[in-house]
Amino acid sequence: MSRKALILILVLVLVSPLFGVIGSEIVGYHEPLDVAAELIGLSESEPVWQGVLPDYTVPGLPDVIGYIIAGFVGVGILLLPAILRGKEFGERN
Amino acid sequence: MHIPDGFLDPIISLSLYVITLIVVIYSAKRYFSEDKGDISYLSVIAAAIFAAQMLNWPIPGGTSAHLVAGALAAMLIGPFGGCLAMFMNLVVQCLLMGDGGITALGANSFNMAIVDVFVGYAIYRLALKALGEQRRMIAAFLGGWIGIGLAATVCGLEIGLSTIWISSSNHSSSDG
Repeated sequence: MSRKALILILVLVLVSPLFGVIGSEIVGYHEPLDVAAELIGLSESEPVWQGVLPDYTVPGLPDVIGYIIAGFVGVGILLLPAILRGKEFGERN
Repeated sequence: MHIPDGFLDPIISLSLYVITLIVVIYSAKRYFSEDKGDISYLSVIAAAIFAAQMLNWPIPGGTSAHLVAGALAAMLIGPFGGCLAMFMNLVVQCLLMGDGGITALGANSFNMAIVDVFVGYAIYRLALKALGEQRRMIAAFLGGWIGIGLAATVCGLEIGLSTIWISSSNHSSSDG
């Protein structure tokens, strides 16, 4: 289970720019919540915290590469408890 | 569906932070004690959800849709584990990517780690009981569909109510 899950995660991150970057550019993506909020007179304020990799980008790198790196960083942090525990991988199923 | 900074009334924002923290702490207790929770499994589920959410399916007209997976997480590791996996995911998205405002993290977690997870799971269990084990996929579909629908509705209510209070407080301050 865990090995399959890790392969699935790897594939998802690698193909994600096709959707999150290239596909978004093709359709001229605008965050729907921002559009809806503007309609009722709200606007997004300057973010209190922009994030280390703002909007899944790495400053100075192309968006596609930045998106993949951001994906691996996020996945890496979330997998940290499992890595530290270091025993479940490959054991399930 | 990730609410950014500036959309929510501070009282709504703060209240949802408190409610979310209470539910997350309670979920952690339940997951790790009664559900024999496994941190490794939780961690893998959270990472898989994070990766899956990066696949924004582009929709002509300038919008997109992506998996939220709160109900799915609950079906895989139970509602308390699902709540924790979604919360971990939202914290990383907010702190690392700035996806969802930090002042709205309580609200975003309430919508996606509590409403979607617990309502989605409850609908799934009810549908499973009514339809039987053979129709598990239909029960899962109903849980996921109604869970995310309600989470989005709650998100809309939070923003809508914030508009009412923000505009009424602006009126009173200009009157004064």
